[in-house]
Amino acid sequence: MSKDSQMRAAINQKLIEMGERERLKELLRAKLVECGWKDQLKAHCKDVIREKGLEHVTVEDLVTEVTPKGRALVPDSVKKELLQRIRAFLAQHATL
Amino acid sequence: MKMEDMPLSGPDNTRLEAMVHDIYSELVEDACLGLCFEVHRAVKQGYFFLDETDQESMKEFEIVDQPGVDIFGQVYNQWKNKECECPNCKRLIAASRFAPHLEKCLGMGRNSSRIANRRLASNNNMSKSESDQEDNDDLNDNDWSYGAEKKSKKRKSDKNQNSPRRSKSLKHKNGELGGSVSSEPYKYNYNTGISYETLGPDEVRSLLTTQCGVISEHTKKMCTRSQRCPQHTDEQRRAVRVFLLGPSAPSLPDADAVVESDSFDIPDGQTLMSRLQWEDSPDISPTDSASSKASTNHSDSRKPKKKKRTSLGLNSAGGGGGVGGSGCLTGGSVGVGGSSSSSSQSNISLSTKKKRPKLSAPSISSIYDDLN
Repeated sequence: MSKDSQMRAAINQKLIEMGERERLKELLRAKLVECGWKDQLKAHCKDVIREKGLEHVTVEDLVTEVTPKGRALVPDSVKKELLQRIRAFLAQHATL
Repeated sequence: MKMEDMPLSGPDNTRLEAMVHDIYSELVEDACLGLCFEVHRAVKQGYFFLDETDQESMKEFEIVDQPGVDIFGQVYNQWKNKECECPNCKRLIAASRFAPHLEKCLGMGRNSSRIANRRLASNNNMSKSESDQEDNDDLNDNDWSYGAEKKSKKRKSDKNQNSPRRSKSLKHKNGELGGSVSSEPYKYNYNTGISYETLGPDEVRSLLTTQCGVISEHTKKMCTRSQRCPQHTDEQRRAVRVFLLGPSAPSLPDADAVVESDSFDIPDGQTLMSRLQWEDSPDISPTDSASSKASTNHSDSRKPKKKKRTSLGLNSAGGGGGVGGSGCLTGGSVGVGGSSSSSSQSNISLSTKKKRPKLSAPSISSIYDDLN
């Protein structure tokens, strides 16, 4: 498994080095705002915050509450497009 | 380990696919984390719930969508009643009239700058005289535009004195003033003319000494304009006088006849004085100045009149060429001349007017009685 983790580290480094990771992040954010994912999550955040009280909200609470929902709410089209781009990147650089 | 060494085929394909998904979920978690930070920051700074309010205020500040009102439910033509304070003269001006007023008040624009220039020019002459007290007051009040406008009106009237409209208005004022000041029975309707049949010989005579008097063919009324009215000729006037007064009547009494000078000496002298100091032109005929003054100054208060009366003799002596004689005497002589026969009266009348014969009214009436 050390080989696998080594490979992961190498790929991550390559993604960061080439700036592809930033580009993907920006693309994902734009897509998610576009499709209303952000508004949905914000509404959910409001519920969470009301539940906990305005003063007692921590980032950890939010993360634990929001992340599962966020993951589930990503539209399939966005997910597919992103996966496609990652795959293309890997294919491009693995053959070098 | 280099990527080139990575086997991408075979069973590694699934591994690769897993890695792609891992990268994807990392990205999504990143986005979630970013959102969480953003929301948390908004909560702690206190602006997270700013965009929503309670139901009451939502209802209170609802956008109004009705005809005639703006989105706040106010009537939108309220500005029509607004008034602005002029920064120059401190008066309250209706908003719709503010721009024109300011133009005049500040002396901008073509006409206003003309007025201002004239004002400046006349100020130099005026400063020497004490008679224009009101204008000096205006100066001190910094309300110079008003004074300038007044002045310009006077000037205008000076220039337009020969137009028929002017002389008509003169008659008007003449009648009112004559009725109040002197004992002459001036109570006819001057707008429609006078029907000579209803008048006594005294009245006819006094009318003819002051007015054109030509009888219209259509209305059978006498013309009430001045004796120089442009509508009728001297021949017509002469004919009327012969017809009404007989062949012994004066051919054409001078315009500055007794009655007029009697009731009008005060404004007359005023005009002459102001005229002298404004334009330095003493050669203007007294009738004209009378006409211009009659319309502008007839509502003057008594006080300035008195003031001017004292300085009147001085001024008239200078302007009128110094014809001697006391007021009473000259007034009497003019009365005789005006009603009997005189065409050479005009140069004397200038001075007699200014001598303002206070006693002339009774003396004139007595003369009339004698004549009849």
